[in-house]
Amino acid sequence: MADICEATKACSSEPGARETANEARRFRFVPVVKAVLPADDAGRKRRRLDSSASSSPVVLRSDPGDDCVENRPEHGDGTGEGVAGECPGYGVTSVCGRRREMEDAVSVRPYFVRGDHRYHFFGVYDGHGCSHVAESCRNRMHEVVAEEISTSRPGSNREWCAVMERSFARMDAAGRPGDPPPAPTCRCELQTPRCDHVGSTAVVAVVGPDRIVVANCGDSRAVLCHDGAPVHLSTDHKPDRPDELRRIEAAGGRVIYWDGARVLGVLAMSRAIGDNYLKPYVISKPEVTVTERKEGDECLLLASDGLWDVVSNEVACGIARTCLRNSTAAAGDNATEGNNCGGGSDKGCADAAILLTKLALARHSTDNVSVVVINLRTRL
Amino acid sequence: MSSADENQQRGEETAAARNEPRAPEHFAKFFECWLAEQERDLQVLRTAAASAGEELRLRPLVDRVLGHYEYYYCAKAASVRRDVLPMFNPTWTSSTENLFLWAGGWRPTMAFHLLYSKSGLQFEPRLLELIVGNPTRDLADMSPDQLERIDGLHRLTVRLEKEISEEEAQVQESVADARMVELTHALAESEEVEADAMEQEMKRKRDRMNEVLQRADQLRLETLKGLVEILNPVQAVHFLIAAAELHLKVHEFGKSKDAAGDATGRPE
Repeated sequence: MADICEATKACSSEPGARETANEARRFRFVPVVKAVLPADDAGRKRRRLDSSASSSPVVLRSDPGDDCVENRPEHGDGTGEGVAGECPGYGVTSVCGRRREMEDAVSVRPYFVRGDHRYHFFGVYDGHGCSHVAESCRNRMHEVVAEEISTSRPGSNREWCAVMERSFARMDAAGRPGDPPPAPTCRCELQTPRCDHVGSTAVVAVVGPDRIVVANCGDSRAVLCHDGAPVHLSTDHKPDRPDELRRIEAAGGRVIYWDGARVLGVLAMSRAIGDNYLKPYVISKPEVTVTERKEGDECLLLASDGLWDVVSNEVACGIARTCLRNSTAAAGDNATEGNNCGGGSDKGCADAAILLTKLALARHSTDNVSVVVINLRTRL
Repeated sequence: MSSADENQQRGEETAAARNEPRAPEHFAKFFECWLAEQERDLQVLRTAAASAGEELRLRPLVDRVLGHYEYYYCAKAASVRRDVLPMFNPTWTSSTENLFLWAGGWRPTMAFHLLYSKSGLQFEPRLLELIVGNPTRDLADMSPDQLERIDGLHRLTVRLEKEISEEEAQVQESVADARMVELTHALAESEEVEADAMEQEMKRKRDRMNEVLQRADQLRLETLKGLVEILNPVQAVHFLIAAAELHLKVHEFGKSKDAAGDATGRPE
């Protein structure tokens, strides 16, 4: 741990951002239509600070025809740079809950890019059909993302989008025919040569000294708590989300209402890793948001739908924020010790994760519950 | 025949020789006594939960109540050794309870649902206190370590439950094995078969069901003990209260349902 701390300090003077001055456009992602905001809006730091935008994430896509947001920080050593590179404190809870199968998997990988200590990886995967796709995401996704980062050295937001999209595509391809079958420990009975009916959500956050890159596929969710208010960093992929519904129908698929909206009446999400038999309707391409870290950022929550089905973003944020504050108050000046040591668990975050999990269970969540709370406060 | 089988047979013979009451009546009487004891335990647990503090005094109480569960399963095992048949078709429980039987008793993973439900009921009203870190002295303030251990025990219990279910399935399917089909065909055709061939065949299967029941009962008791071990004494008191209330009240409900069914001449 001491080595890591040292390495971190050595790296912390490196500029966190290498944004090119690409022309920037931004759009607002509202459920039905995307509205392109005025060009002069692009220079402003973060639209999520606007009260009107607090529930509208900036969604970046690298599709040629798509509007793409360059959400540039104003300066390379902005707020948050004071502890650049050091892994934020975090807390994790992942329980089977009231289900008989555990299909959630959580991955926390501080300093996951070899030779580059600025980035930390957090992922929540909620499997369906069997647990092996979620497990292989837990075991492999951070390595794939790290490889992509090392290879392409992303600087601009667009490049980060591309890194995440390539990573998800590679992870998805890992379950295709010809690849080794999943571990024989899983309960799935069709282990060879592939399990077409198995898949997983993936919500992945790469936390750097000056920005947070979130890539999402499925209905797990990332929420940023900023000054006590929730900011979506991902939008759930539900088959009845209007744009997803259009995409599925354009590909020749159908959404059938059978215990909720389901692709071909089967899968209750419109994107996932795996699920080969539902391709091309269910895709593995993530939606990516790149968010500049700012003063006022309190924590980042990643969780499976076992939490979000029964706890609102607002309530989750309120609880997490209070836990972080209490832990700070209780520990006095030493409160950040755990956070500064890199990759350590953090009392406030652990309290928040457990409380949110218990709240989900108290509210009769019938699913596995996985919660990751990441402390983003850089000074107290 | 294995030595276990022989012991089993000897057990049955001695029980018959001593002219003990048949297992159903015997165990039914025991069950009534045990219910009364559980009712008394419940009152004591309630009083203990209401009186603040004194965790030291709660541990012996929790151990005593657990001891009563252990005693129950000892007595049940003794009855099973006499005769496994009535244990899968209990007359001392109500039709309502029997509707939810798993391998001759309650499903072990129910204990986790009971814990999560009770904990949840205690949790939400105290959420604000818990957020600011005030202890609630009940199941609402289970620690991260406790929740992790409970989750681990839960996953293990699900796995063992499945193993037992699988074993039960194999025994049940063996009722239609080739030997049985051959035997029953011969009997139907009035062909001469060895006098006790059927008896021997069925006994083998009964013995295997006996093993299933013993394993299931062992898992039930171990789940209770394992959970209580993870909980602190105050939490354990709340958990044992919830368990006793659920058991006693569902039993009472079921019995009155059965009685009403009898009264109206409706077959149950």
